[in-house]
Amino acid sequence: MPAVSQGFKTDLLGAIPSLRAFAVSLTQNADKADDLVQETLVKAWDKHESFQPGTNLKAWLFTILRNEFYSQMRKRGREVQDSDGIMTARLAVHPAQHGQLDLKDFRGALEQLPEDQREAIILIGASGFSYEEAAEICGCAVGTIKSRVSRARTRLQEILKISGEDEYGPDAISAQVTGTAGH
Amino acid sequence: MKDMTKDILAGAEGRRRNGVGDPLGANSEIGRKLKQYYDELVSDDVPDRFAQLLSQLEQAEPAQKKD
Repeated sequence: MPAVSQGFKTDLLGAIPSLRAFAVSLTQNADKADDLVQETLVKAWDKHESFQPGTNLKAWLFTILRNEFYSQMRKRGREVQDSDGIMTARLAVHPAQHGQLDLKDFRGALEQLPEDQREAIILIGASGFSYEEAAEICGCAVGTIKSRVSRARTRLQEILKISGEDEYGPDAISAQVTGTAGH
Repeated sequence: MKDMTKDILAGAEGRRRNGVGDPLGANSEIGRKLKQYYDELVSDDVPDRFAQLLSQLEQAEPAQKKD
């Protein structure tokens, strides 16, 4: 078995801030997030041979971290949230003045999203992954990621009472109708 | 081929949005907050335990090529 290269170790170190940010986004808890990052690093080290040099290390690591997160949740017997099956409580927050949305309110709103929507909007809107990469990380179709991002965005807008962002009025209305239908 | 399809799709999407751009981009309040939220997390100081962990993993490696 070839030894782990120095470059691989350096790259792992470099990826830690991103891994921690993604882990906090998933777990919503700093301690759990760091445990998750630790598990991810150990796993990545053990299976370093399966990483293909030249491909996206960050995406590879995010995939490991995400798999670890969901397998831990399953072990704990927690049902994985399915955004199609649950209705998110709509917490009332102060209507945001345009451009003055508080980061704390935003964090609270993000916490209310189902995991699958939260991870999708984080991967696309914050971590800088493409839809294709995000789909690979989450093991689903590109279209699924797109629809999760779109639902996440709509829901955040609802929770935060942001209006005027959707340049398509009818789209916004139909999104709200589909969002509430069947519950 | 795949890239071409992507370009066409991206172009169609851009036209559909009428030049408004990325729905999570700089023109979007949600997009800006999302980046602010995430950047704050990324710039958080990394605890020493992770560098220590990697050193431990390295030391645990079966010594090869050591002559």
